Amino acid sequence: MLVIKDAVCSLCGSLCDDITVTVEDNKITKIENACILGRSKFVGMLEHDRIETPMIRKDGKLAPVSYEEAIEAAAKILVNSRRTLSYGWCSTSCEAVSAAIQLAEETGSVIDSTANVCHGPTALAAQEKGSPSATLGEIKNRADLIIFWGCNPVHAHPRHMVRYSSFSKGLFTEKGRKGRTMIVVDVRKTDTAKLADKYVEIDQGSDLILVTALRSIINGHGDVIPEVIAGVPKAEVLELAETLKNAKFVCIFFGMGVTQSRSKYKNADAMSSLISDLNQHTKAVMIGMRGHYNVTGFGQVATWETGFPMAIDFARGYPYYNPGETGANDLLVREEPDAAIIAAADPGAHFPQKAVRHLARIPVIQIDPYPNPTTELADVVIPSAIVGIEAEGTAYRMDAISLRMKKLIDTKFKTDEEIVKDLATKVRELKRGA
Amino acid sequence: MQIVKLSLKKANKIPVEADNVNPNNFAGKTEEEIKAIPVWYGNGQCPLGDFFNVKVEGSDSAENTKIVFEGDVSRVKRIGQNMSAGEIEINGNVDMHCGFGMKGGKIVINGDADSWLGCEMTGGEIILNGNASYYVGAGYRGEACGMRGGKITVNGNARDYLGEHMCGGEILVKGNVGLLPAISNNGGKIVIEGNATMPASEMKNGTVIIKGETSDLLPSYKEEGTEEVEGITYRKFVGDVNVGGKGVLLIK
Amino acid sequence: MSEILIKNASVCDPVQGINCETMDICIRDGKIVESVSGNAKVIDAEGRLTMAGGFDGHTHSAGKINVGRFINPNDARRNLVPGLSGQVARTEKTRAQVGYNTPNTYAIGYRYAKLGYTTICEAAIPLLAARHTHEEFKEIPILDKMGLSLFGSNWQVMEYIRDKEPEKLAAYVAWGLRASRGYGVKIVNPGGGEAWGWGRNVSGLYDPVPNFDVTPAEILLGLAEANERLQLPHSVHVHCNNLGKPGNYATTIETMKLFEKVKPSRDRQALHVTHVQFNAYAGTSWRDFETGAPMVADYINGADHLTFDLGQVIFGPAVTMTADGPVEYANARMLHEKWSNQDIELEDASGVVPLFYSPKSFVNAVQWAIGLELALLVKDPWKVMFTTDSPNGGSFVNYPEAFTYLMSAKRREEVISDFSKMALDRMVLPGIDRELDFYELAIMTRSTQSKMYSRPEKGNLKVGSDADIAIYDILPGQIDPSTEYVKVKTAFSGAAYTLKDGEIVVKDGEIEATPKGKIYWVNAKVPANIDSAMQKDIDIKFRKYYTVSKANYMVEDVYLQNPVEIATEGVF
Repeated sequence: MLVIKDAVCSLCGSLCDDITVTVEDNKITKIENACILGRSKFVGMLEHDRIETPMIRKDGKLAPVSYEEAIEAAAKILVNSRRTLSYGWCSTSCEAVSAAIQLAEETGSVIDSTANVCHGPTALAAQEKGSPSATLGEIKNRADLIIFWGCNPVHAHPRHMVRYSSFSKGLFTEKGRKGRTMIVVDVRKTDTAKLADKYVEIDQGSDLILVTALRSIINGHGDVIPEVIAGVPKAEVLELAETLKNAKFVCIFFGMGVTQSRSKYKNADAMSSLISDLNQHTKAVMIGMRGHYNVTGFGQVATWETGFPMAIDFARGYPYYNPGETGANDLLVREEPDAAIIAAADPGAHFPQKAVRHLARIPVIQIDPYPNPTTELADVVIPSAIVGIEAEGTAYRMDAISLRMKKLIDTKFKTDEEIVKDLATKVRELKRGA
Repeated sequence: MQIVKLSLKKANKIPVEADNVNPNNFAGKTEEEIKAIPVWYGNGQCPLGDFFNVKVEGSDSAENTKIVFEGDVSRVKRIGQNMSAGEIEINGNVDMHCGFGMKGGKIVINGDADSWLGCEMTGGEIILNGNASYYVGAGYRGEACGMRGGKITVNGNARDYLGEHMCGGEILVKGNVGLLPAISNNGGKIVIEGNATMPASEMKNGTVIIKGETSDLLPSYKEEGTEEVEGITYRKFVGDVNVGGKGVLLIK
Repeated sequence: MSEILIKNASVCDPVQGINCETMDICIRDGKIVESVSGNAKVIDAEGRLTMAGGFDGHTHSAGKINVGRFINPNDARRNLVPGLSGQVARTEKTRAQVGYNTPNTYAIGYRYAKLGYTTICEAAIPLLAARHTHEEFKEIPILDKMGLSLFGSNWQVMEYIRDKEPEKLAAYVAWGLRASRGYGVKIVNPGGGEAWGWGRNVSGLYDPVPNFDVTPAEILLGLAEANERLQLPHSVHVHCNNLGKPGNYATTIETMKLFEKVKPSRDRQALHVTHVQFNAYAGTSWRDFETGAPMVADYINGADHLTFDLGQVIFGPAVTMTADGPVEYANARMLHEKWSNQDIELEDASGVVPLFYSPKSFVNAVQWAIGLELALLVKDPWKVMFTTDSPNGGSFVNYPEAFTYLMSAKRREEVISDFSKMALDRMVLPGIDRELDFYELAIMTRSTQSKMYSRPEKGNLKVGSDADIAIYDILPGQIDPSTEYVKVKTAFSGAAYTLKDGEIVVKDGEIEATPKGKIYWVNAKVPANIDSAMQKDIDIKFRKYYTVSKANYMVEDVYLQNPVEIATEGVF
């Protein structure tokens, strides 16, 4: 029996690294400290079917084949393709991401991450205004005012409030929750809102209006705001602005309510400006509540290797970046790709219909531990090891701090990194042969 | 006068990147030479002649060269990129980045245009007799300035982010626009004859005139009486107050 | 056993006192040796200028630079120095490249190598984010690397200094270097990083850090003492308080004076002050702003305990990136630029702000002049390391351009002729006609680093040194750098040959090979009992304040590519 402490959970962007895992006979038999989501990840393999063997679709059905056959078939798809979409890469290690980027560069593909349907707009906002942020420990130790804007950590990041935010205790925040004010801004009263000291309900799609109003007030131009802003009465907005200014340390955590609602990246863009304006009065930062445990990692690796965090088009041999043109859904909805390789994500389940319909038309390579709706669309399927459980690797937390995911049990499955490297080797071989 | 007629042999899904297709590159060239011009198609380059039927009449300098596209080119990007003289006429829909970085000359599109029409334009004229998509006359990601000069006329509707980061030039839209037109502007003039939503956010300088309905005016503009332009009296707003802006927003 | 014979090299190796003498260089298995056999591959240097590979001792090239890349996608296509910038498609030998100020990792390796540089030192590694730096290091081809770990606003450091626990402080510094695989101690705006945690700053050496009851002066001296007790190869590396503020030259001199009493435990300086240009400002506001370089240079000329680097400004777009959080916020607000900030719990701050240096701005013109004034007014070139604090003052791909400013008064006059009268009134550069020669240039770009960082096998061409060599297309006896500065710039922009560990990596300005470089890090030994006592203190920090566990904090071996562990023995 082996008890492994300080294991890093590989589910959400909180990247909790205090998980205690008991391993007996190469099986995880006990998990301590993980939340319900993390626990489901660790025990998932006991409760869900895995993709047991590589498969190739023959006559409409997926048939088991050897690993070498699957690699060869996948490589052939890539070599014969003029425009491959490489998508996903967020529930896997940075090392796998790096291999995927190299493969995309060599095949002139477009590579994109799950940020395309999630925090992509946060990157666009940072490219307009910058990213005024801090590591989560700064919030734990200093923040006396925490705002959750358009996000619901009770469900999406269950241990966030205890480890990093509302309930955490640090050097200057010994009173924990009692010494803090927690505000939730959302369009409906979520379970997180129910825990807040103040819940501000805004009209759908009006985040930009409220952020702009707060800026105007904080910058001394309260005279230009109307009586009702984003569905909120002026007096309440004025009070909110005062609360912000009078705090010692403000942190705004934001999620899909900000990135995927009307005005998209302009919401976070304006929020960056609000944070900058607030810093004229007090200390303020903002942090995006990243979903997948390593979507931040994809962004980091892609940025240092290609100069861009996502939606990278290598067609012309050098990286070209233009979300709206080079994003996964941009390509699929326009029916551009003639092949796709999908790993560590499930567009079959999450993408718009038009995109999924196109995926169904083109050859798709899937690399994943588990069967999912994308498997139904795939022509070549290669099972992989689960990072953080069966494979080591680096991942980045939502605040851009990296941790090394541990290997807890042995597995017969190859890692995403190995598979991608084998694929790249085969592609080179075929290209040379041609 | 040199006229070059291009028509797509077959509709393509993977875009052709036609940044070499402009009067500057075509002027004085023969049909064979034009057919040999490389264009990117996915991850490789092909001669233009693989995709287009090419007919050349005459030979002249760039200012006197006209390129005519017959038929849909909705998957041909970057037509007219960086052109400084001459004319392009497109009789069909056109893909993204038409007229990117245009310095002079004229592009007329008789169809719809996909996003980034006239992106980073510094001169010349684009006339769109159809609907535009996103980011008309805008800039590249992360740049402070988009369009710096020239004129874009959209005789239909446009979508979100019209003229984002505009620093100069003129945009006229006959129809409606989507969200956040004239955002982060620092110069230039935008006239929208139809409706707009949340215009001129963070404008530092420039003039924006909206003749239709304005929805969700952002709470960062100061109303300062009225102003008359070409016989119409508008409510005058100055701002964006949060960037110390002296932009003028005239709405009905 | 691979042998190379470089014939007819016009060697400029100040460490050995060799000044453009024609000689042969023998290389075997990556090292310079006395002689080689007849089987050696021959490179005919044809009398061209040959130096040790360049050593950039202060560059922001791994870690924080990623924020710079991230917020400036528009930098990717910038091609201000053709051949050393812009978007370049992948080739058989090279990965795709982008950027100018914030190139991708592959471009950084290739472009430094093209300039004849073979070693870089990352200027600032936050302990908690060190793994990230090493991940980027692994993707920078060719170059040998090291990094300086941040300690100047660290809670544990400040507490040990406040509580007068110098032995535990040294143990902590040793542990921090091991945790981050750092090479040296970096101090940025001491104490200011903690003040910035509340949006504040410290105003000078004796302004106590809020809540910690220590002053920046105490932090500096405490860390210096630990640095010397541990016998670290480099001295403390200091970014002074009040960076960027008119009048700050006084703080800089005060800081330098503070170190007069510090005895280095090795044969090197007691203090290295970085990017002094940004800290050599006189005047009281931007209106009466003027150069403070003469005062600073004057002090340095009379001092023998310190070295410094320039932080030279290059006109055009640049990106500031520094652990000096408050400076960055102020920059962003003043210049209306994008603002990125990343405070690191318990440790330090940081910020990234793009900006533009214009010769038309009198402030920028004077900043440009100050860097050069410092280089030319300080008499002893061994005290001077050339940098632009890349990319804060400008991208490293502009080093050849900057060399022409140092070597040619005529070139300087050309640039100065564009300046306003107001700018000219605020600088002393027009009155300086000193011109550096290749020997002095070599000192500032490779030789002095050999001693500064205690790396005897780097920065020189002695027998036994690494065969990291640059051959430039210049015939030293036949060129007048003062008038032929265009040729000088061209030659330094693309080495005729760059060799790394005896392998040709650049030929005629193009990449020939892309071996993986080494990573140097320091492992300082501390007595077990003191280490244990210190561990108990930091265990509390991890239990109560950090958001990661101590076990997961340390940079694992797997992140080090060709590591070279430099062991030192602490004196307790």
